[in-house]
Amino acid sequence: MSAIIISTLMSGIVLGALYALMASGLSLIWTTLGVFNFAHGALMMIGAFVAWTVSEAMGLGLVAGLIAGLGVTAILGIVIEFLLIRPFYSKPNVLLITTMTTLAAMIILEKSAQMIWGARLKQLPRMIEGDVSVLGAVISAQEALIIVLAPLVLIALWQFTSRTTVGRSLRAVGQNQDAAALIGINVPMTFALAFGLGAALAGLSGILLGSIRFITPGLGAEPLVKAMIVVIFGGLGSLGATAGAAFVIGMTEAFLILVVGLYWTPFLLFVFLIAVLVFRPTGLFGKV
Amino acid sequence: MKRNLFLVLSLAVLLLVPLFVLDSFTRHLFILAFIYAIIASNWDISLGYCGVFNFGHMTFFATGVYTTAVMAKTFGINPWLAIPMGGATAAFVALIISAPVARLKGIYVVLVTFAFSQLALQLILSQSQITGGAEGMVRIPYLRIGDYKFTRDYKLGYYYAALSLLTCSTIFLLWLSQSPFGKSLQAVRDNEDYARARGISITRQRVLALVLSAVFTGIAGGFFAVYLRVASPEVLSFSTLSLALSMVLIGGAGTVIGPIIAAFVLIFATEAMAGIRGMEEMRFIIVAVGMIFVLRFTPGGLVKLVSGKRT
Amino acid sequence: MSLLLDVQSVTGGYGAVTVLRGISIHMDVGENIGLFGPNGHGKSTLLRSISGLLRPTSGIHKFDGKDITRKRPSDIVGAGLVHAQQGNTLFGEMTVREILELSAFTHRAQKGAAHALNHVLTLFPHLAERSRQKAKTLSGGERQMLSIGSALMCSPRLLMLDEPTLGLSPKLKEELSVALKDISRNVPLIIVEQDVELLLSVTDRLYLIEHGEVQREINKDNAPDHAEIMDMYFGAHDQ
Repeated sequence: MSAIIISTLMSGIVLGALYALMASGLSLIWTTLGVFNFAHGALMMIGAFVAWTVSEAMGLGLVAGLIAGLGVTAILGIVIEFLLIRPFYSKPNVLLITTMTTLAAMIILEKSAQMIWGARLKQLPRMIEGDVSVLGAVISAQEALIIVLAPLVLIALWQFTSRTTVGRSLRAVGQNQDAAALIGINVPMTFALAFGLGAALAGLSGILLGSIRFITPGLGAEPLVKAMIVVIFGGLGSLGATAGAAFVIGMTEAFLILVVGLYWTPFLLFVFLIAVLVFRPTGLFGKV
Repeated sequence: MKRNLFLVLSLAVLLLVPLFVLDSFTRHLFILAFIYAIIASNWDISLGYCGVFNFGHMTFFATGVYTTAVMAKTFGINPWLAIPMGGATAAFVALIISAPVARLKGIYVVLVTFAFSQLALQLILSQSQITGGAEGMVRIPYLRIGDYKFTRDYKLGYYYAALSLLTCSTIFLLWLSQSPFGKSLQAVRDNEDYARARGISITRQRVLALVLSAVFTGIAGGFFAVYLRVASPEVLSFSTLSLALSMVLIGGAGTVIGPIIAAFVLIFATEAMAGIRGMEEMRFIIVAVGMIFVLRFTPGGLVKLVSGKRT
Repeated sequence: MSLLLDVQSVTGGYGAVTVLRGISIHMDVGENIGLFGPNGHGKSTLLRSISGLLRPTSGIHKFDGKDITRKRPSDIVGAGLVHAQQGNTLFGEMTVREILELSAFTHRAQKGAAHALNHVLTLFPHLAERSRQKAKTLSGGERQMLSIGSALMCSPRLLMLDEPTLGLSPKLKEELSVALKDISRNVPLIIVEQDVELLLSVTDRLYLIEHGEVQREINKDNAPDHAEIMDMYFGAHDQ
């Protein structure tokens, strides 16, 4: 019996790590620009497809694929910021408008992907082959890689925003745009940087996801919803809250699957989320 | 009033259309346009008039679709009854959704209403014994009066049934927008603090707005299921969502006829494009780009929603 | 005539509301100036217009001979024109040290950063004590010091302070004006203040601003006495 518990725990940790990574890009954009990027899932999908194209279709290998995937999504992020967010900065309803423009961006990316890559399933090869045994439970080495990589990336992100000048400028802009401009920070460029970085993080999670799941144009839909759940739950506030929320959601999901089965789990997860929001409208840890 | 004159004339024209449009496909386009017009104009109650960032409107439509489908096919209830049942259930669902939503602010309203639509989608996909899951339900009973099947005469019956539904819905919306309730909704949207100071209960307004917006939307959903004889989870897809949302935005949130006109324009445009080879996905891209253009370039008048209203 | 700052006939405001009505002020090299007058009449708006946060509808701002009217705020700071806003909100979640270090953001500011930090912490010992605290936990007076300290870190060639003593106790006000006098010896200042006497002690020339225009220019020659000052505020002007 305990073997099942441990295996479920491992499953939860893998999910949590993946979700934390997925949500970090969304959270970075939210805390810096105050905007919710509906195209987040689609960017994950593009990252996966581009990596696949460079690595498999063009045969240039995984490293090249990774670089290409990150590069293309970062550029797309900057383009989205410039075309779909920047023109609306000064409008009073910027949040609603950018929700709709990023939703439109998502449609454009998804349908373009359908046109470019078609509907046939593709997959990225594993970066590490084989299985690994942890505490008696067996997971694939790729999944183990995810568990290791996600916290590393999050820590790197944390150090970046707290120690480096550029990273601090992101936080400053998120807290007080005018004051940031008045100490010499170029605010529009900072927004573009934040969006590019957030998009690249989405691309990275997409590439990792693409190595353990099939890549389709609809790859991003479920992660978007999961990332949404994580940031709502964690309160959209800080990176730490996002990471914590991700693991809670990951664990909850793993145990729900164990207890009520795959079919009922998504539904119950939502019920759980909505229940939390009724009692704490700003999320578990959060402030709006 | 110029607008009412316009509406009466349009109705007259639409009544006469079947005299000139004799083929099944074009009439089908009109029927689709009528249905989407109902969806879009009713969405405006919550989004445009009340200023609630409701992203879950399609949930009401889907509720209507599946309620009617299940009642008519699985339980054998007469479609004429099953369709209004769709509306009633949708209103009930709206009541449930509005409970958490009414007190939330800003982005959380978007996220939660959206989460509800995802929840509905999950429910539909997982309960496949009832709903047919990802494949949906087919062979839903059709409408008829006595021996007259509505599919006869190149869908003539369905055309007038859909048109009547749109007419009723529009009269309802026009009445609502002029009524004291409608005005109070706009008051809440335009200046929440002031409205509250005048004794208007924000929560109650939002609940009512959501519920009222669901009624005809649910009925339209039920009609949609019976007309197409199919119920599919596609109604909750992002593509459908963005199509309907574009109609509200391009047509002009906060007006009654705006979304209706936009529905006609977009349905005919997208279906015309679907016929061209290679355009199946492109047409959605075009609609999405259109949405962005409207948000960016159209001055405040067309899209009142985004010119300065708070939640 | 070497003008450090030249504001010519600037008109501007917020949306439909015009606040500045063709206002002109100037500042010579080697002097400090003060702006005073009733609230809501454009003093803060003028500073915001100069620092680039607000775009004027007409008129010119020249800093050290160069036209900065349409420049980005960050570029204006890069040229050495620094604006410390009213209200000192800055970045609540960042620590004092982080804010001071970050404030040496521009190229020019980075060069003397270590030295400047030393100077600021010596000038405001309170800040040195609280360097690891988050800005939002500071008292009003300390936040004010942080605001000025942050502005100093930008290596200003001209520093504009908006109501630096607003809301401070008399004791803190006294401390701060000592610090201001110290600063004024090294950095040209434009100070917006309600306290005319403080302005007279720190600056060389004053402008009385009302209805978005200069109503009166005051210097050492025609400096008013206390009674006249009171008159200016409470008496002579009918609306």
